Amino acid sequence: MYNSYPLIIILVLFISAFAIPLFKSIKMARIIGISAAGISLVLSILTLIGVKANGAYYFRVGHFDAPWGIEFHIGIIEGLMGVLFMTVSMAVLWFSIYSIDHDLSKKKVPLFYTLVNLLVGSLLGIVFSDDLFNCFVFIEISSIASCGIVVVKDKKENIKAALKYLILSSLGSGLVLMGIALVYSLTGHLNMAHIHEALVSIYPEHSRNMLIAIGLFTVGLGVKSAMFPLHTWLPDAHTYAPASSSALLSALVLKAYVILYIKIIHRVFGMSIVGDLPVLNIVLLLGAVGMIAGSVLAILQKNLKRMVAYSSVAQMGYVFFGIGLGTTMGLAAAIFQIFNHAFTKSALFLSAGSILEKTGKKNISDLKGIGKEMPFTMAIFTIGGMSLVGIPLLSGFNSKWNFAVAVIEAHRVELLAVVLISSLLNALYYFPVIINGYFGEESLEGKVYRNTERPLKELLPIIVLVLGVIYFGVSGGGLLSLIEAGIPALN
Amino acid sequence: MNFLALVPIAFPMALAVGMHFVEFKNESYKRAYLLGGVFLNFIFAMMVIFVANPEMHIFKINDFMEIYFKVDGMSKLFITMTSILWIFTTAYSFDYMHHEGKEQKFFTYFLVTYGVIVGISLAGNIFTFYIFYEFLTLSTFPLVIHTGTKEALASGKKYLIYSFSGATLVLLGMILLFSVTGTLDFVPGGILEGVAINNRVTAAYVILFLGFSVKAAMVPFHSWLPAAMVAPTPVSSLLHAVAVVKSGIFALIRITFYLFGAEAVNAMHVRGYLSILVALTILMGSFVALHQENLKKRLAYSTISQLGYIMLGILLLNEDGLTGALLHLINHAVIKITLFFCVGIIMLRTGYKTIGEIRGIGKKMPITMGCFSIASISLIGIPPTNGFVSKWFLAMGGLQENRAIFVVILLVSAILTAAYLMPIVITAFFPGEMGKELENSEPPLMMLIPVVVLTGITVAFGLFPNFILHFIQGISRSLIG
Repeated sequence: MYNSYPLIIILVLFISAFAIPLFKSIKMARIIGISAAGISLVLSILTLIGVKANGAYYFRVGHFDAPWGIEFHIGIIEGLMGVLFMTVSMAVLWFSIYSIDHDLSKKKVPLFYTLVNLLVGSLLGIVFSDDLFNCFVFIEISSIASCGIVVVKDKKENIKAALKYLILSSLGSGLVLMGIALVYSLTGHLNMAHIHEALVSIYPEHSRNMLIAIGLFTVGLGVKSAMFPLHTWLPDAHTYAPASSSALLSALVLKAYVILYIKIIHRVFGMSIVGDLPVLNIVLLLGAVGMIAGSVLAILQKNLKRMVAYSSVAQMGYVFFGIGLGTTMGLAAAIFQIFNHAFTKSALFLSAGSILEKTGKKNISDLKGIGKEMPFTMAIFTIGGMSLVGIPLLSGFNSKWNFAVAVIEAHRVELLAVVLISSLLNALYYFPVIINGYFGEESLEGKVYRNTERPLKELLPIIVLVLGVIYFGVSGGGLLSLIEAGIPALN
Repeated sequence: MNFLALVPIAFPMALAVGMHFVEFKNESYKRAYLLGGVFLNFIFAMMVIFVANPEMHIFKINDFMEIYFKVDGMSKLFITMTSILWIFTTAYSFDYMHHEGKEQKFFTYFLVTYGVIVGISLAGNIFTFYIFYEFLTLSTFPLVIHTGTKEALASGKKYLIYSFSGATLVLLGMILLFSVTGTLDFVPGGILEGVAINNRVTAAYVILFLGFSVKAAMVPFHSWLPAAMVAPTPVSSLLHAVAVVKSGIFALIRITFYLFGAEAVNAMHVRGYLSILVALTILMGSFVALHQENLKKRLAYSTISQLGYIMLGILLLNEDGLTGALLHLINHAVIKITLFFCVGIIMLRTGYKTIGEIRGIGKKMPITMGCFSIASISLIGIPPTNGFVSKWFLAMGGLQENRAIFVVILLVSAILTAAYLMPIVITAFFPGEMGKELENSEPPLMMLIPVVVLTGITVAFGLFPNFILHFIQGISRSLIG
């Protein structure tokens, strides 16, 4: 029964997105947007349960067979991503009830919900689809929608950031399109499984072309998922967007493109071809450099949200690092990191956004003593920060441990240094914020306890995300083995 | 499954939560709550380690990440020592922290740290150990920066940077070791059976040793310890002479004898290099202590030097050496906490911080300074105090290895110890001219009793060392032999 759920999820999200503008009230927009997301969350969980029990399957959209019709491929990884995307977007939508009015003018609020549902629907489309051109269509929708949720806050810097994002993102889409065209001209197919068959048979005489095609995909999707040094759009977009949008952009938007990249490497080309080419080594190198450089750049930031945004560059570096290792364990670690980062970073962005919203202070130096004024919000930020630093029993530690194990399994012990240095660097920028927030005589003087704190009710969605961080920290083994079980179906 | 071991870990943390939220009506309720709570937890801990003796697997994240508690000789030794000293420190802290302020905050983190230390002692594998080791840094950090001044914050930052760098090395070592052995449980004699000693194993040992030696204040990773002396005296005494640095030492014993095993470490041929660092620690700590005017800083450098003795005893890898190291672990804890308490009393009652100011203070505070003198004599290693016993065993261990140089180092350092501690005693009791008139004399009984009792313990251990000696010899025999 669950076979058609992925399609229903996307349809529900899209239809609700276009239904929202029909009603002109904010309340209706919220009801429609959130109930659509809720339905999708339930369906995605059911899909995951089904896939877990019965294995991966293809779903023919419109009952046409593959070369003509469009197929979805749903395995455990896709199912997990569905649940992850819907959980995070539910939490963010829930949070937005209390927060989005402060950032947007009244007229724009329904538009925000339209854009979010469009965005999440298209991202899930990218994840589920087994057809390259179909993926491209969803990429375009998601690009527009993600620029939309940045620019929906009508400020000068938002328009600037969104333009920068739009230009670079379109460049990325263009490169992906060229890659698809090249692959199509080589094989005559758009369906991933069919392309793979054709590519394997023509590989020896067309290895150059394939290198170019993979290069196009790497750079194109690299721009969109902020692979260092193609991340330049990210800090602006994530900093100036409303808190809810920043959380979605960092937690989900970056991830969908990575999943597509993994599918292109493993499903479309396959390790037999990619292993021959130098691409993965370059991805590994860029990932490693990103892990260090992203953190170094974050240390230099004065603006809190910008610092958190640069930290995303470092965290995405881990994902590419894992992909670049080219082993099953590396890939599993990368996918686990996607989970870790999605939960942690959305919690961080929402708490940082709350601080900004309640105090109006952007700069880290102004936030001394904030732990007294907003103790719970800051506690959430602290747990998120500590997770990324790699304190045990939080998901970030598990993620780092997975990378360490993967590195040793791949016989590249020297890369352990990168993993560990990067986590130390994380401490250098998260701890000062936390320490100055909670401690220090001078900073706490004159601050009133819980002066600007949000009501606990409004913090619940972020607490849900933090509970996810703790859950994956305490019992991350289950998730990891689930991911490992799902990886064979990717090929 | 048996969740008993969690009680002494969780109970102080629950007390801490209570401390944070409950407003006590008057001072004596609060004192009763704290002292009663800490004492109750001492009894819980004793029951867990001596009566229930649990071994329990709490939960398993995957093969290597497993929370696992076990009671063995080492954990009995460490838990008993810290629990008893915690009771004394609690009693001592009441009046001191009343003067210092922000008591609620202090006692909250103080209790959390107690739970964490019990967790460290009971950890049955290095992963569990590592978790509590990280928590130890986090829970002691607010204590280090208690005063909240710029200087305190700077020291706190230093403390964090050193600790986390050390912990990162530990993590690296753990991963390397796990990749070879596939298990990280503490087993007497090590887990390397049937594993060839290759470069990776050696690297894992060296990295783990260096990582843990940050908290054990080994030169050149020691500079956080003197900096952390800005903390209130109960914090310096308990955390920086007892709990934090000693858990570094405890970790070194765990990795050397319970993960790698004496034989494997011996086969690695890295002992020589590590002992150079340790010898440097002993000598440098003593020499620098000579120049410190500030009493607490002088004691801090003395700690560095004394910790060097213990590390030396570990690296000797023979029975007498380890016996000496374990004895000194206990003796130094008792002695150093006494010395710190005395200095804290001086600071509290007179505000004097440097050696130049305390001229003639012995006349006004005969009991305090008397205890200080006895503890000093003990630390130098003059019989019949306990310091003599542990140094004797350390020297025996050095001779067994045919390394007379270690004995020479011990003797030189003993002379230096006398050189930096005796001047304090002499200035206090034998002023050249009459000292300034002091308004205050001996402190309240709540502060004085711990000092006197601890001094009594020092002397008692020196006169009758057999009880504890047999226990410790049992441990070292089970590990080497």
